[in-house]
Amino acid sequence: MTPNAASASSGSSGPSRRSFLASTAVASVAVAGGMPLLAACGSSDSDSRGGTTSGKNAKKLLPAYVASNVVTPDIPSKNGSSMGFTSKLDVTTLKTSVPKKLGKGGKVTIMSPFWGSPPKSDNPYYTSMNSLIGVDVQWQNQDGNTYDQKLGAVLASSDVPDVVVIPGWNMGGKIPSAIISKFADLGPYLSGDKVKEYPNLAAIPTDAWQRSIFGGKLRGLPMPASYVTNIVPLYRKDLFDKAGYQLPKSADEFTALCKEITNARAKRWACGDMKWTAFNIFGVLSGSEKALGWNQVDGKLVYRVETEEYLEALEWTRKLFAAGYVHPDFKLGKSQATDPGSKFGAGEFLIWNNDISNWYGQQAAQAAQNPDFKIWGMDLFGHDGDDPTLWAAEPAGIFAFVNRKASESVIRDVLAVANVTAAPYGTKEWMMTNYGVEGTHYTIKDGVPVKNDKGNNEVVNAFVMVASPASTIAHPDFPDVTKASVEWQQRMGAFTKKSSFWGLQITEPARYTNLSNDFEQLEDDIARGHKKISDMQQAVSDWKKQGGDKLRDWYKQLLDENGSAAS
Amino acid sequence: MSHSTVPRSRAEANTKPAKTPVASGGATGARKRTGKLGLRLRFRRDRVLLLMTLPALLLILVFNYLPILGNIVAFEDYDPYVSDNGIVSMLHSPWVGLENFQRIFQDSAFWDAVQNTFVLFFLQLVLFFPIPILLALLINSVVRPRVRAVAQAVLYLPHFFSWVLVIAVFQQMFGGAGMLAQQLREHGHNGIDLMTDPAIFKLLVTAQSVWKDAGWGIIVFLAALASVSPDLYEAAAMDGAGRWRRMWHVTLPALRPVVALLLVLRVGDALTVGFEQILLQRDAVGPGAAEVLDTFVWWNGVRNQDFGYAAAAGLVKGVVSIGLVLAANKVAHLMGEQGVYKK
Repeated sequence: MTPNAASASSGSSGPSRRSFLASTAVASVAVAGGMPLLAACGSSDSDSRGGTTSGKNAKKLLPAYVASNVVTPDIPSKNGSSMGFTSKLDVTTLKTSVPKKLGKGGKVTIMSPFWGSPPKSDNPYYTSMNSLIGVDVQWQNQDGNTYDQKLGAVLASSDVPDVVVIPGWNMGGKIPSAIISKFADLGPYLSGDKVKEYPNLAAIPTDAWQRSIFGGKLRGLPMPASYVTNIVPLYRKDLFDKAGYQLPKSADEFTALCKEITNARAKRWACGDMKWTAFNIFGVLSGSEKALGWNQVDGKLVYRVETEEYLEALEWTRKLFAAGYVHPDFKLGKSQATDPGSKFGAGEFLIWNNDISNWYGQQAAQAAQNPDFKIWGMDLFGHDGDDPTLWAAEPAGIFAFVNRKASESVIRDVLAVANVTAAPYGTKEWMMTNYGVEGTHYTIKDGVPVKNDKGNNEVVNAFVMVASPASTIAHPDFPDVTKASVEWQQRMGAFTKKSSFWGLQITEPARYTNLSNDFEQLEDDIARGHKKISDMQQAVSDWKKQGGDKLRDWYKQLLDENGSAAS
Repeated sequence: MSHSTVPRSRAEANTKPAKTPVASGGATGARKRTGKLGLRLRFRRDRVLLLMTLPALLLILVFNYLPILGNIVAFEDYDPYVSDNGIVSMLHSPWVGLENFQRIFQDSAFWDAVQNTFVLFFLQLVLFFPIPILLALLINSVVRPRVRAVAQAVLYLPHFFSWVLVIAVFQQMFGGAGMLAQQLREHGHNGIDLMTDPAIFKLLVTAQSVWKDAGWGIIVFLAALASVSPDLYEAAAMDGAGRWRRMWHVTLPALRPVVALLLVLRVGDALTVGFEQILLQRDAVGPGAAEVLDTFVWWNGVRNQDFGYAAAAGLVKGVVSIGLVLAANKVAHLMGEQGVYKK
């Protein structure tokens, strides 16, 4: 897994979703970033009409920001990118960001999504992290791919664990109402200067905390992320160079390139499902959260499914499928049973839009058996050959919540855990959280930490899911990938705009939460030729009639009352 | 057994239900004997038996009957998160009356699911149901025990594979990049993709079921065949009946009650067609071709947390299922068979 999983994340996809992504490909980014998402918080507990908290009301809740100056990044954040660390990491001179254990030795149960096979509960990574923190954390790792199905049931029970990690893409249906009713207000421990007791939490950027306000209370411990789109069209640079393929600069050039590459007889196809890239190059409003899909144009709010760009992007994706440029496995959609990663490695297809963390992830995974393998990110282009118009993703997408019934001592212990996991790059705490124990989980080769098998099996997910430092990309073993990833984010960040509700945590009124449930399915059906563009137009007109227009009025009022968070 | 026990006509078969191995005559016999005794006497006499049934009765009560109360949520906009206790949540969720049902009947996705379910049921009835019977006859005709054991083992085996595995194997064989498609391409034809074609999806699902479960389905029929007395065959042979006549007049009549029983049971399950199997392949062809009632309920309830709506769909399914069982049972009676129950 990503050695610095906490930082590799971006947009709506979590770092640890990497293996998940690896196994279900981009279609799953879609699930994640896609539709049945959030509604989020209400302006007060009793207000069932939903809403958000911003401006003055939010200021009262937000923790103070105290920048961390442990290490200066080699590439500072720009245009919403992550920070990049490319120079060698001297393990012997790591700094300490948590001088004294804050944990009081209590027991804390944490339920969290896990992609892959969870390690034994008493493995050296968990035990050494626990002794570093001073809290006995007991992990309840659940399969990340089906997390949404378990989450609903666990939250409906009377036996909710002390801490529950919930990614934004799992906040569909009534989960937002569950978050508000089942989880504790952390404001009394973190708001304003109180956060200074936990210096690493105080260094989490304010826009990530802003997103952690659910139902008018500060409830989440955030995982900050770059707001630049997380979907990169990754391609096999080694094979591109060998065949002399040129990178496309428009939608038509891309299609022509696909035609050139595809040779089904030789078991080679051009790409995977390009839907999410299509949305980006056609400038479709973000689909990673419902609220991001709304934008004010000439005083009127429009939703992403109503736009021409949306239909054009779908039509373009459909053509790629229909022309046979897409690897046949992707026609299975989310139900794809086999891992596209190995087929990508075998060169069965050359372009794979995927979460940015896979740039490093696929490279690291293939490096051992496939020394020539080189994966690289393609710049997004405007469909007509101009600059692209990209829409910002959220600055935090995964949150840890504490059970409402937890006692103060449990909450303090949870914050002690978070204060260690949020330690910045260059500290001992970061190193242990992301790489484990030296000698057991990783060894130093040529001055660079390299995880061994045990490290790859045990130092995965878990602690990185609780709270993270400001978005960081740091892969000491592949500095060129690190540099390229951050620079990609900065170039794309320059084209990125923020839609009207960017940065806010919004709860839609209960009666509208199921209104947009079927769009993502319909998108995939159209791309695969099972449904027509006209079916989408019909669905949009039904959506308007069944409440979409009323929802528009509701959002309009919200915008008038709160203003937008985007600066 | 005498010659005359070979049922010659429908009427005769009807008078001898006890001959059949499964649709037992035991129950009817017991009823006759207990008819005259008082309740207390019967209770005292059967107390050990009753005691032994108690745990099972309790399980049925707790897991089958109590949850029926949960159907109340079909009439609510159920929000399980308003309280830690499901029953309290039920009391606090807003009552919406028949609104969920109105929504369902206007939802084209629901009607797609209904249609897909029925088409799949009839396809499986015609293409799947007879196959275990044929296989059982085949296995039954194998005399050498070794060959028979091996054949049975081979036939049973796929039943123990999980659906994920079965579908992965099918994809590797018949998918767009699968063995068949690549073979065709290597020989200059166009590749075919049987896994993502909505038009043949239902046949595909049926084929998968046959491959996986047809072998397993023969067990009941083999048991029925084993209970046919060899005397009958000998007697028939002496009357000059050949191989086919023996099958027609001895074997098949012996199987008929079992077939009728299983058919009624199958009809009761008609609206339950391969949940896991279909959920795994739903996205490959889209819900328009693949959604069945069970996946519809799952999608709306578990996935979208629209519990009230999903419960309403489940309730509709339950009501239709009962209707189907009653109808099938009636048909079984008209055919002169026991069916599942008799008044």
